Amino acid sequence: MGLSVKDRGEAVATLRHVHVELMEMLAQWTPSAPEMEVKLLFGEHIWNVAQHADALGKRAHELRLPPQHSLPPVEPYAKLLAQVRAERDTARRLAAFYDALLPGLAKRYRDYLARTDALMDAPTVRILEQMLDIESRMVAQSKTLRSEIPALAKAERAWVDALVEQERRVGNLVATAGS
Amino acid sequence: MAAPDPADTTVIRGVTVRKGPAREACFTVVEENSQLSFNADPAYAKGKDMSERMRRNRVHTHMHNEMQSIEIAAQCIADFPDATWELRLELARQCWDESRHARMLLNRLREMGGDKGEFPVMHFEWNITCMVDSLAARLAIQNRTFEGGEMDVLKVHADLWRDEGDQVTAELLEGILSDEVQHVRFANRWLKRLAKDDPRTLLHVAQGIAFMKRVTAAYAPLEGQVNASGAEISETSHPSPTNVDDRRLAEFSEKEIADLLRRDGFGALVS
Repeated sequence: MGLSVKDRGEAVATLRHVHVELMEMLAQWTPSAPEMEVKLLFGEHIWNVAQHADALGKRAHELRLPPQHSLPPVEPYAKLLAQVRAERDTARRLAAFYDALLPGLAKRYRDYLARTDALMDAPTVRILEQMLDIESRMVAQSKTLRSEIPALAKAERAWVDALVEQERRVGNLVATAGS
Repeated sequence: MAAPDPADTTVIRGVTVRKGPAREACFTVVEENSQLSFNADPAYAKGKDMSERMRRNRVHTHMHNEMQSIEIAAQCIADFPDATWELRLELARQCWDESRHARMLLNRLREMGGDKGEFPVMHFEWNITCMVDSLAARLAIQNRTFEGGEMDVLKVHADLWRDEGDQVTAELLEGILSDEVQHVRFANRWLKRLAKDDPRTLLHVAQGIAFMKRVTAAYAPLEGQVNASGAEISETSHPSPTNVDDRRLAEFSEKEIADLLRRDGFGALVS
């Protein structure tokens, strides 16, 4: 047995909220990052995550929620997003976004895909599979850029590892889960 | 949004504007036209300097303008979290378009032997647009006015490059032009919709346009002032004629187009 309509709607609306925040984060960083190539990377990725937010918002409506409905994630994840957004150093921003946040989300999509009914919830499955594909490409693009401009790869390993661990410890992102 | 934090503003020629976005050390950011270098080669007609250096300068200027356009669209997303989702989506798409444009122009510049930072740059559009605290006014200034003007410029410049035998750069500029039409069109559509939903929008737009005109006047070169290349700035100023076809595609009204044609000196054709 897969997830209920309510469970699915809440998960989708929460992921939508997260993607709107990711879009705003990249948008805020674009003018304040000095490096031209980083601005160009962010410009493309703003559109990618905006499209994901849009697809999730449409799907939330199909799951009995208002159009483009968002649900804030659990407090620890909201704090993590705010913490990352406040980061000022470009190398740390890149590491936080592409080495911690996106890979962490990819694990959550896979977890959702493992739990949902692939036929009943096929529209969500398709959206998440597309997001996995595009967001893994975004991570690859960031790695290429950081190999081309080594100064952008100078975030301290221990700091990144701690962020990855902080993200992992959050667990389920849905604030209403279990209620 | 509230007005920009005073720490994010700067004063240029007596006018308070938004402080420029971050730039790498390779870029020299200047505040006046006199510190730019345009049209210095006397062997070319006014506005048609296509010497090797000027070719790179032209591509560099387009590239920097596109980068600035990414930053302005992105800043609008960041500054107006409560804007309608569909409008934010348009701005997000614009970020991608402008980043592709800047990337293509950077690649072209490097093919021509140049690189980013080779010529001084200005933050004129950012300084003005990101100072105003209304998204409608920003759309009116950046998309409808600056990008609308860019449609006129790109058409002229594509022809200029083609006449000089550079089909690659000409086609690149034409590709960019078709994307810019959409950026102007969505702004026109949204301005109409926002004004219909809330008539105060028109007041915000009028205030924004008045601010833009005030800053433009303050930034205008003084009589006899020369630029960094030694050319008199008034001699380098050559407004592009109105790109009527693309302005129609971008959904300017026939009256607005007629007004622009009158400005260009073709009043007898439209009266």
